[in-house]
Amino acid sequence: MKKDIKRVRNIGISAHIDSGKTTLTERILFYTKRIHAIHDVRGKDGVGATMDSMDLERERGITIASAATFCEWDDHEINIIDTPGHVDFTVEVERSLRVLDSAILVLCSVGGVQSQSITVDQQMKRYRVPCIAFINKLDRSGANPDRVVDQLRTKLGHNAVAMQAPIGLESDFSGIIDFVSMKALTFGGEFGETRQVEDIPDHLRAAAEEGREKLIDAASMFSDELMEAMLEERDIPDELIIDAVRRGTLKRELTPVYMGSAYKNKGIQPLLDAVTQLLPCPTEVQNEALSRENDEAPVILTGKPEDPTVALAFKLEDGPYGQLTYIRVYQGILEKGATLINARSGKKIKIGRVVRMHADQMEDIDSIPAGYIGALFGIDCASGDTFVSPGLNLSMTSMYIPEPVISLAITPEDNKAQINMSKALNRFTKEDPTFRTHVDEETNDTIIEGMGELHLEVYVERMKREYGAAVTTGKPRVAYRETITQRAEFNYTHKKQTGGAGQFGRVAGYIEPIDEGDFEFVNKITGGAIPTQFIPSCEKGFRSCLKKGPKMGFPVTGARVVINDGAAHSVDSSDQAFQAAAVGAFKESYKKAKPVIHEPIMKVVVETPTDFQGAVMGLLNQRRGMIVGSQDEGVMCVVESQVPLAEMFGFSTVLRSATQGQAQYTMEFCQYRQVPQSIAEELIEKAAKDNKSAA
Amino acid sequence: MVKTDLIERNPLRQLAGDREDILADGAFGAVLSRAGIGKTALVIQMALFNMLRHKNVLHVSLNDPIGKVTLWYGELFQDIAEEYNVNNIKDIWNDIEPYRLILSMKVSGFSVPLLEERITDLTTQNIFNPSMVIIDGFPFDETARDHLKALRTLAERNGFSIWFTVHTHRDEQPAADNLPACFSPVADLFAVALELKPEGNNVRIETLAGSRTVETPLLLNPTTMLVTQDTQSKAV
Repeated sequence: MKKDIKRVRNIGISAHIDSGKTTLTERILFYTKRIHAIHDVRGKDGVGATMDSMDLERERGITIASAATFCEWDDHEINIIDTPGHVDFTVEVERSLRVLDSAILVLCSVGGVQSQSITVDQQMKRYRVPCIAFINKLDRSGANPDRVVDQLRTKLGHNAVAMQAPIGLESDFSGIIDFVSMKALTFGGEFGETRQVEDIPDHLRAAAEEGREKLIDAASMFSDELMEAMLEERDIPDELIIDAVRRGTLKRELTPVYMGSAYKNKGIQPLLDAVTQLLPCPTEVQNEALSRENDEAPVILTGKPEDPTVALAFKLEDGPYGQLTYIRVYQGILEKGATLINARSGKKIKIGRVVRMHADQMEDIDSIPAGYIGALFGIDCASGDTFVSPGLNLSMTSMYIPEPVISLAITPEDNKAQINMSKALNRFTKEDPTFRTHVDEETNDTIIEGMGELHLEVYVERMKREYGAAVTTGKPRVAYRETITQRAEFNYTHKKQTGGAGQFGRVAGYIEPIDEGDFEFVNKITGGAIPTQFIPSCEKGFRSCLKKGPKMGFPVTGARVVINDGAAHSVDSSDQAFQAAAVGAFKESYKKAKPVIHEPIMKVVVETPTDFQGAVMGLLNQRRGMIVGSQDEGVMCVVESQVPLAEMFGFSTVLRSATQGQAQYTMEFCQYRQVPQSIAEELIEKAAKDNKSAA
Repeated sequence: MVKTDLIERNPLRQLAGDREDILADGAFGAVLSRAGIGKTALVIQMALFNMLRHKNVLHVSLNDPIGKVTLWYGELFQDIAEEYNVNNIKDIWNDIEPYRLILSMKVSGFSVPLLEERITDLTTQNIFNPSMVIIDGFPFDETARDHLKALRTLAERNGFSIWFTVHTHRDEQPAADNLPACFSPVADLFAVALELKPEGNNVRIETLAGSRTVETPLLLNPTTMLVTQDTQSKAV
């Protein structure tokens, strides 16, 4: 680890799906000589990129878990976390950006600013992370870096300024013009490892000068010296421009834009120069903790290794050697053998093995000083826990955890799978706070919840591969209800008097529907027709029928039972007899009360670009949704609807598809409503089939 | 038949006379008053009247967000149901709610082509075919006539009528034809115009323009905002 903290950079690489983050990281590692061979993300050699170490990642060609590594460039140490692009794995981006000092926002030169680019940008804003943009894939057909720079401004509101221009595009892409040095850069050698500096071709000179002028104009807002030099039309040294751009970048008021093609090995080395020149070292980023003694007042951390330790655990991984806890040290030094306190639980922990990560490989080290990221073994803690030196009463805010948007019911295939599934769920939920599980009280289904269908699919696959737990998945069962629609009388006698101790009880009255509440029991017995001591038993008997309605076995709601007459026997009447009488009375009258099935209706609110409003309404309508209305809010609009929960399965995927991933939705319970006749018939038919197969 | 009661006994039937609806397809109606007198309450009661008869109402609000508009509907319907001693309010509401759809837009963002686009989205996908449109908060300024003509074309093409709320001002001098100044230049485009006039403890609903006047004057109860018949006044 570098002794001079000013020469350390902790960066994340974040972007929309398939923008080239992992490929870019692979090239960075190659050019910094951290690795000696380049492997493609979906390469024919089947090896996969360095940072995609999971089998599933290599098979699918996607990054599922964030991976940390480090390298050296220009006498700087760069710690990198490569993150996934799918929104399903958004927690990996959250945790990475929480602990990093800066980021590279990768954009596809064809796709430009896409849905996850917007999400990642919001995440960077949330944690006030300065960034530089890298427009990748300039070799692709349709590449248009100017459009992407414009989108950075219009869609993300960045003060984006191009630091470079391409030499050729698409299949003609051959190099970069740098506006600071005013030189053309090409990348020779088998893997683009040799940077060649040349004069700018004549036909590109005018455009280059225009680009430089715009750059200086934007940068001068952050440097009086540069402003003066510009106004006085003096020669401007490169360092003055870089210094001004750096100031703007650190303030998050300027986003320098670089470009290239990671896959074609062009433009990476200048990007690395930008990381060392423009992005902050750990001491240039203000980090805060909250004082637990002082009503959570913010306390600025010094970042000095000699001060008491403050560190944040941001990721957990269960492995063959126990739990691996990834940790960022903000102040002090985290040494092997030291004792720290977990600020959340108050427990003392002794630091055992300390390692530094390189994707899935680790290297033992003695300590992690302030400004660095490492990992610990054998510490029992939760993601987001703060570790402090004894005597310090500080805690750091954890990362933002979004709510799950989709759920599935899972059923283990056999007993062994059940046990292994539980182990798997325990581990996964501990590692990933956006992956949750619970048992549905009503249906007894084990439900898993996550950020998307891919998210859940990956965990189901991992359950199978890592725990040998084969499970089947299905839609979570909807919690239907039954209710009655009209008043019906009952007059039921429970009698067993064949000899010896008998049972006798008669209950008369009526049931009727109520608007509010689940159940009401009203006693209108007069003259002691049913002795007072048996009235609670009557109520108990009626209530016992509510759990499983006679029609379909769903819970009964919205019913009032009124008893107004009855009869008792001096010997044979008992609590049990009247309970049985009440059950019989309920069943007798229930069918006459014309019961119906109710389903949960959800209030679904979709926020979408206005262009997709019609498509969104169509989607909701197809799912038996009732559109309440739509509110135009400029480029976005909000569509409010009420949709049966039974129809919401798979909605998030369909919505993403229909709106190019640009729409989001929220869902909350609204009310219960009667199911349409056709749906009721389907449910009855299904129940009959299920009963038949059970029998 | 509780729902039938709500229809048959509704004083707004007086406005329709012999016809089924107050306005024919493609026709315009206006409700005029100063701020806070009850324009929105009246048009919403007209909407509820239509919804009870299972006719689709598209409520375009240029003032209020969806939440506020749904509150208006909910509260007025609750009041009407209580007035008629209706028990199964929730069931009736669940039955008629699908016959209303709200579009909320900013005044600055409103245009006839935009409204047409929204309506087309709904009709082509068979999501919602309005038979009555309410535009609450339409700006009756110097550009109004052109917009109204375009809206007339839209209404005729799609076979719906449109009710507008018109905000008049206390200090504004009436035009030469005695109509409110903001309404006068476009009054010829409207088949029916109703003005809400405070009168003591009541608000009287008077027809300004139209082919008929109500036989029994209608009042707007300023407390409940419900339309009632003025049984004390002599028949016109």
